[in-house]
Amino acid sequence: MALVSGPGRGMTAMPAEMQLYVDKHVRYIQSLDTRKDELEYWLTEHLRLNGLYWGLTALHLLGHPDVLPRAEVLDFVFSCLHESGGFGAAPGHDAHMLYTVSGVQILATLDAFDDLEARMKGGRQKIGQFIANLQDRETGTFAGDEWGEQDTRFLYGALNALSLMGLLDLVDVDKAVQHVHSCANFDGAYGTSPGAESHSGQVFTCVGALTIAGRLDLVDQEKLGAWLSERQLKNGGLNGRPEKKEDVCYSWWVMSSLAMLNKLHWIDGEKLTSFILQCQDPELGGLADRPGDMVDVFHTVFGIAGLSLLKYPGLAEVDPV
Amino acid sequence: MSHEPHHPSRLRRAALPVPLSPCASRQAPASRKVKAKMPKFYNDDPAWEDIEPLPQDDGGLHPLAAIAYTDEYSEAMGYLRAVMAKNEFSERVLGLTEHIISMNPAHYTVWLYRAKTLSELHASLEDEITWLNRTALKHLKNYQIWHHRQTVIDALGSPKGEPDFIATMLEQDSKNYHVWSYRQWLVKRFGLFGDDEELQWTEEMICADVRNNSAWNHRWFLVVGGKDGQSVGEHMVKREIDYAKHAIRRAPQNQSPWNYLKGIVRQAKLPLSTLKDFALEFADIRRPDDIYSSHALDLLADIFGEEEDSKEEAKKALDLLATRFDPIRAHYWRYRKGLLEQTGSAGVVA
Repeated sequence: MALVSGPGRGMTAMPAEMQLYVDKHVRYIQSLDTRKDELEYWLTEHLRLNGLYWGLTALHLLGHPDVLPRAEVLDFVFSCLHESGGFGAAPGHDAHMLYTVSGVQILATLDAFDDLEARMKGGRQKIGQFIANLQDRETGTFAGDEWGEQDTRFLYGALNALSLMGLLDLVDVDKAVQHVHSCANFDGAYGTSPGAESHSGQVFTCVGALTIAGRLDLVDQEKLGAWLSERQLKNGGLNGRPEKKEDVCYSWWVMSSLAMLNKLHWIDGEKLTSFILQCQDPELGGLADRPGDMVDVFHTVFGIAGLSLLKYPGLAEVDPV
Repeated sequence: MSHEPHHPSRLRRAALPVPLSPCASRQAPASRKVKAKMPKFYNDDPAWEDIEPLPQDDGGLHPLAAIAYTDEYSEAMGYLRAVMAKNEFSERVLGLTEHIISMNPAHYTVWLYRAKTLSELHASLEDEITWLNRTALKHLKNYQIWHHRQTVIDALGSPKGEPDFIATMLEQDSKNYHVWSYRQWLVKRFGLFGDDEELQWTEEMICADVRNNSAWNHRWFLVVGGKDGQSVGEHMVKREIDYAKHAIRRAPQNQSPWNYLKGIVRQAKLPLSTLKDFALEFADIRRPDDIYSSHALDLLADIFGEEEDSKEEAKKALDLLATRFDPIRAHYWRYRKGLLEQTGSAGVVA
């Protein structure tokens, strides 16, 4: 992801309701790791590695990539890495696709594959092999762990991580592509498995996987674009399914999918920008799912990434895939 | 609520969703006892005196863990790490994992170890389901629980009792994605595609809330998904078209049945113009003040666009959408109009 300009630039001229509280969000993310005396910290242990990736990404987008110390971040990431090449959510947690993807994404963000090699010889190959072993060779899809739960999220994660490591040839991409194609629904969108209800988050994973595989030609782009743009509600926010409430995280799932289809302009960007900004906590930083709710790092990164796609001034540019 | 009408008095909803209409004969939710929570500790429990809890290996538990509940959770996790380290599979491990799951059901490692323990002990799977029923109701958004349930029901080999449990879950949230996905798994696992009761049930769900997109999707899954690529019979096509039309008449500004209707027409390879008269019931472009559905306008734009001499009508429909009935997507509607001008076709989105 490219850093186009520093923080704060161009924003002072913004009216108050259009302000992005960059410094507050940076401090909010920094504070997350120092709250070990709170129950919440322990109960979200199973998300620790994802959370770190989300926080780190948000900081990059906000133009403050260095406020989390690189060495400490890497120490933690490597403490989640198993001999098998898979990552767990935190030390002592089993290896799982979702954390392995976050692990690889953090290593890529920090340009740390050499550090990986120093800690684990042949580490990149081992991680690639861990992911490849989770592919169902018959259907092409991927499981999350040895337990076997399958979902298009895992498939996208696998292709994303493998492409970041340059190891896509370890898996059967054609079969994976066929599987994604079989998840297309009658409304033009995608679900978690063949026949499962269309959902914006799953659309992102399927369109992302097809983009990585270079097979967007399989998507009914007009119809999917129409379905995605139908996710916008009168208040400017986006929802995940028909007749559901808006939520900031869909700013990312819907918008990145539209961006991959070159149809970002099919929604009202100004109204969405203003909706996302209303979800900020102007005092303590962070973004919530909708205005007035409690903030968390998940909604913070996806709200900021949405603003980045909307070309909010001062934010680094995000890659929709 | 994605298509909030621009002109509320015109694009109003013909029928509001009724969460619990009399047509749905479903059970009342199971009562949930709220009992005062007493923390449970292991260090002075004789049944656990042989176990030395293993601390977290990233620096140990934080000394500031001030809340009692946090102590309870940390201690239990310490015992779990210890039994996992020596591969103990026992009744007390079932109790311990149950305790941890009650505090934090999203901890996937705990589920995994519980599943292994059940299998090693050849424990009663019926008891497991009874416990899971209670646990699922307490943790509606959790998904690890559904995979666990799938494994257990698969091993039991019968879906008996599952529809009742699902009904209870959907009382809490009628669009819960995990519950609907699980229902699809049951249909596949036990071959219920042609089951009359299953279809009847989707009807009850749609009757209870005609805007429940999950229920519409399940209906499609039963009617079309079960055919595995083979064509749906003529009789069934007619039945489904009538069914969707009936639902649209109840609530014309509702995406789900419109998508369903267009999907069935396409699936049956019928021309889109089959739906022209029906769409005109809700959107006569000559009388913009009497338009009741943006979805009907959208469909009409496509139908007019396909006709030889109706390009102007198609453009009019798209203009009405862009300016009056769905202005938040004005760019999209203008794009569609642009296509019409370029190629003479409205970019059919059936």
